[in-house]
Order: sequence, then structure tokens, then C-alpha cells
Amino acid sequence: MRTVDGIKLTARRELVERTRRDRSFLISTLVTLAILVAIIFVPKLLGSDDPTEFDVGLVGAASQPLGQVQTAQGEAAGIRIDLRQPAPPADAEAAVRDGKLDLAVINGRELVAKAEPDEQLSLLVQAASGAARAQQTLQSAGVPPAEIQAALAPPPLPVRSLEPVDEDARSKRTIATVAVFLLYGQLIGYCFTVAMGVVEEKSTRVVEVLLAAIRPVQLLAGKIIGVGLVGLIQLAIIGVVGLVVAVASNAITLPPDAAGTIGSVLLWFLLGYAFYSSMFAVAGAIVSRQEELQNTATPLNLLMIASFFVAFTASVGGGDTTLARVSTFLPPVAPLIMPLRIAGGDAAPWEIAASLAVMLVSIVAVVVLAARLYEGAILRTGARVKLGDAWRSGRRQPAAGRA
Amino acid sequence: MLELQGLTRRYGEVVALDNLSFTVREGQMFGFVGPNGAGKTTTMRIVLGVLEPDRGEVRWRGRPVDAETRRRFGYMPEERGLYPKMRVRDQLEYFARLHGLSATDAERAAGYWIERLGVAERADDRVEQLSLGNQQRVQLAAALVHNPEVLVLDEPFSGLDPVGVDVLAQVLADRAADGIPVIFSSHQLELVERLCEAVAIINRGRLVAAGPVEELRAAGGERRYQVEVADAGPDWVNSLDGVTLLEKQNGRVVLAVEGDEQRVLDAARAAGRVTLFSAVQPSLAQLFRQAVQE
Repeated sequence: MRTVDGIKLTARRELVERTRRDRSFLISTLVTLAILVAIIFVPKLLGSDDPTEFDVGLVGAASQPLGQVQTAQGEAAGIRIDLRQPAPPADAEAAVRDGKLDLAVINGRELVAKAEPDEQLSLLVQAASGAARAQQTLQSAGVPPAEIQAALAPPPLPVRSLEPVDEDARSKRTIATVAVFLLYGQLIGYCFTVAMGVVEEKSTRVVEVLLAAIRPVQLLAGKIIGVGLVGLIQLAIIGVVGLVVAVASNAITLPPDAAGTIGSVLLWFLLGYAFYSSMFAVAGAIVSRQEELQNTATPLNLLMIASFFVAFTASVGGGDTTLARVSTFLPPVAPLIMPLRIAGGDAAPWEIAASLAVMLVSIVAVVVLAARLYEGAILRTGARVKLGDAWRSGRRQPAAGRA
Repeated sequence: MLELQGLTRRYGEVVALDNLSFTVREGQMFGFVGPNGAGKTTTMRIVLGVLEPDRGEVRWRGRPVDAETRRRFGYMPEERGLYPKMRVRDQLEYFARLHGLSATDAERAAGYWIERLGVAERADDRVEQLSLGNQQRVQLAAALVHNPEVLVLDEPFSGLDPVGVDVLAQVLADRAADGIPVIFSSHQLELVERLCEAVAIINRGRLVAAGPVEELRAAGGERRYQVEVADAGPDWVNSLDGVTLLEKQNGRVVLAVEGDEQRVLDAARAAGRVTLFSAVQPSLAQLFRQAVQE
């Protein structure tokens, strides 16, 4: 039997047992989809959270002139402002406190916000206040209304962009941000599945029967590939269904190269999985019982969580920060942050190429290292195997594969 | 012939196997016995390639065993190993394919052994749903499903009820009759004595004795006699050199005798009326105790 046949057989077993024979695959797919749909729909249901819609209360006659200017300027800035008229200032304060109003203007002299007002809204209202005051002053000075209009609301200055504008950047960003969450969930979930699978084989001693037929490296490779395929299939199902739902509900508009974004997410999932999974396999190989796995997998979990936070920061703060640029070349973080940077147009082609190169080299290094540790540890039951011992016995074993 | 030549294996400071050699012929039922921790499991793991020896090698039909040859060996480890959540039939087909059978052959072989070992009704259940006895049958089927050239079984009889023991013994005898060397370890020495043509006894990683059971008995050095002298105590034995009193019961004694036994008979007749004088075949258990104590 060729090496590849043993890998194929073990990979096929993982795939069949985990998808066809195990209901938890279907359940976890449905749960993830439900969460995704919730993420898409919840912001639509909670309209007040939309950063482009505000309710502003105008109290007293002196506040009224601000209203017109606000709505007009707001529209120019792509912000919709609904004006309300609460009668006494106390009612306005109560409404702000309850969150019914985002801001109240009291007698044209004071702004009341619950805490820190939205920056954009606040600027807008301040500008409106200035414009209203200027209008009054000009009116009382006898300037004709047409001139006032021309002075206070000149036609907007045209914008000349030095670099092409990506109209779809927002949609792509949304897709990529959701993708980072999905990637993180899939990576941590399926890497842990690999670790648990290794411990299962070890604790049930089935590994001894298996290793009488195939070499450790075949078993390890088959498991990683099989479990990875399950994760990839699930990711593809979730990605496609999620995208269809998001587009159908108008949560996002489908950018023309959405396929490219999804493809890059799947590619980076594979790279991230290849990087992390073999290390998780070692975490499983050095223990003999499922309960002990929590301890050995913790450092890897922490590494993954830290990487996720770096990527998450980039999804909030933009993909062009120093941290984001440095992370491009850090193998633990790159798989999580690159889909974002690529979708946002923040990564230069050379950065993508260099990141892929660093990723591939480190994957080879990690897999070679992990395969040896796995070989050295997989048959040692009882106490937790020290990595140094696994490393040394890993070297003694290669003759087992002499074929 | 399966030849184990000079197998040595250390675990850190502990010497698990020390220059162990013995040979198993094709078609031979071969018992592998020794106290706990003697190195039986280590030996079997080395034969199956699950473990590498520090020195020595295993040869099958005159050639060193490699990974390709080992895939035609069948192995039942002492710590039973099956996927608990996998279905019996799927599992057996999987093992058959790992050992190189085609998909159709694997299906046929799994079906045959499921029938033969009496687990047909549970073929589509998960292994964890089976009783321990049935799990053991499945484990045996996993060792047999690829029609191996060599069978190595670590404690195959432990935990089986008498019916299970008979089924297993019959299956193993059939395999041996087909010309396959069948090696198994067991602490049930009466069973080993009944089933096996030849045995190897090991202790602390070293071979103490190996060969056909008859030869081991003959090579025992001292022979044993059971003597009954009417109307006399066992005191007549005391005056004899090279004779050790092993047991005494009423007027009957069991003696270990070195050299000529006729002088013992003479002494017995001098002591009284001899009603019984017979050679005793040492059981495997006795050979074992003797071997291990030395």
C-alpha cells in the first residue's frame, strides 16, 4: 500500500464518521447558521443602533431654526435626522435618558445627551447652531435671503480622489468581518476536534491496532485532512447560505468579486488550519485522557484567542495600522487578519505574496516538528509525555516506517 | 517460520527485553507465558512493528519483516482497541482496508467474520453499545479480517466466558490448521497447555525456556515421583541425598529426584509396603513456577 492510500483511508473514515454518522455535524452547522442570521437581522430590528439615523428633540422656539439646517446638512452627509418636539425641557431630558432621543437642543442654547453624544451628530448640530446664528445675524443686518442662502449653503465642493474609490469596500468589509468570526470559530472548533480525535484513539488504544497497519505519519495526516475537510465543507455551507440570506434581506449588496472574498476566506482557513491543527494533534498525543487535554491545549487556545483579538482590532480600526501590517507576517495571526486586509484593499500584492510565503514555510516547519512529537508520544500511555521525551523517542521510531 | 532474534529494548534505565530469541513454526499454536511485566506485550508490539527494538530483528519466512509484510500480520492488543462510536461492520471493513484489502474484499471479509464470531445481529450497532464479551469478539474479528499470514494475540482469552473461550480456541485452531503461526500470551496456563504445541516462558525480559511442551518437561533436569508407603511416615525420605520433599499428604509424598530413582524405590521398600510409585509429569504451571523462581 502506498503512503497516500493509508492517508486517504483514514481521511475518508474521519469524513464519513463525522458527517454521515454523527448528528452533531448537522446540529453545529444549523446553530452557526442561526447565529449568523441573527447577526444579519438583529441590527435591522434594533433600528436605533443604526449609526446613520438619529432622533433629535428641539425644545423652545429658539431651537427651531436649527432643525431645518440640521436635516439639510444631515442629508448632505448621508445621515437622517428625525426631529421631535417635546414640550418642557424636563420631558426632553427624560426622553434622552430613556434613549428615545439621541440629543435634545434646549432653547437653542444647550445640547443634552445621555453621555458622550455621537461625534458626527454632535458636529452636525454644532454646525447647525452656528449657521442658524449667522442666518439670524445676517437677517437682522438686512441681507437679502437669497444672498444668505448662497453664503451659508454654498454648493458642496467637488471631490477629486487621487486613488480609485472602491464602491463595494463596505460590503466586502462586512463579509470579511463576519468571515473572521467564522474562521476563528471553525479553526478553534476543528483544531480541537483533531486533538480530541487523537486522544480518543489513544485512550481507547485503537491506535495500537492502527499502527500495526499504518505508520503514525499516515494516521496523523489522514486525521488532519479528514477533519479539515469536514470543517471546510461546513464553512462553505455556512458561507454560501449566510451570503444568500444577507443579500436576500438587503443587509449587504453583493460586490461583484464576492466569490473572490469567499475564496480567500476558504484559502486562509486551510492555511490557518494547517498551521494550528498539527500542534493540537500533539496536545492530544501527549495525554492519555480527554480531561487532561484541557491543560495541554490551553497554550494553543490562548495563542488563537490573542490572534483573534488582533484580527478583531483590525476589523474595527481598519486594516492599515502598524499592528495589522506586522501581523501579516506572523503565522498565528495572518490567517485571521489577511481575509480582512485583502477584502478592505489594505494589503499590497507583495504583502499578500510575502504573507503566503511565510505561512507556507512555517506550516512545513510546524508539521515536521509536530509529526515527530506525535510519533514519539502517541504510544506512551499513562502520565503526560514531556515534549523533550517525545522529541527523543520520535527520532527512534522512523524505522517503523521502513517500507 | 517466524524468528525473533536477539530482541533488546530499554525504556530509559529499565531493560524490558534482553536478547530475546525464539522461533515459531508455520501452523504452530504457540503459547507465550511469563509473569506480569516480563516483557510479553513489548515483544508482541515489536513483532507488529508498533515498537522498534533497540537491537535484534524479527524475520518471517527467512526475510526481515518490513512494514509491507507486517500489514499481513493480525494483531489483537492486550488493551482492546476499537473506535467506541463506530459501527461494527464499518469498523471491520475499515481495518480490512487499512491492511490492504480492496473495498469489495473488505466487505466480504467483514461479513464472514461477523457471522463466524456470532455478532451478526449487532453488525450495525456502535461498538460501545455491545457487551464486553461481544466487543472482544469484534476485536478478534479485527485481527482476523484481512486473512493474516501470522496471528499475534495478547491475552485473547482474558474476560471471556467458557463458551467464548471454546469459540476462540476453535477459531485459532482452524487458523493454525491452515498453516498460520498463532502466537498468544495468557496467564491461563492449563489452557495454554491444552491448546499449544510449543511455548516460550519469559521472565524479566529474558527467555527462560522455549520449545515443545514435552521437551520442556524432559529437560526439566529433576524428575518428580509420587510415592505411597503404607504404615510409614515420610521420615524415610530424610536419609536420601539429592531428593527433595515437595509435598506430603497422609502416607503419600511427592519428591523431586536428581539422578537414579531406583535407590528411592529401595529406600521406600525398606521403610514399608510400597502401594504407589509413579513418575509425575510436571504441569506447565509447575514448569512455569520453577522457571520463574530460578
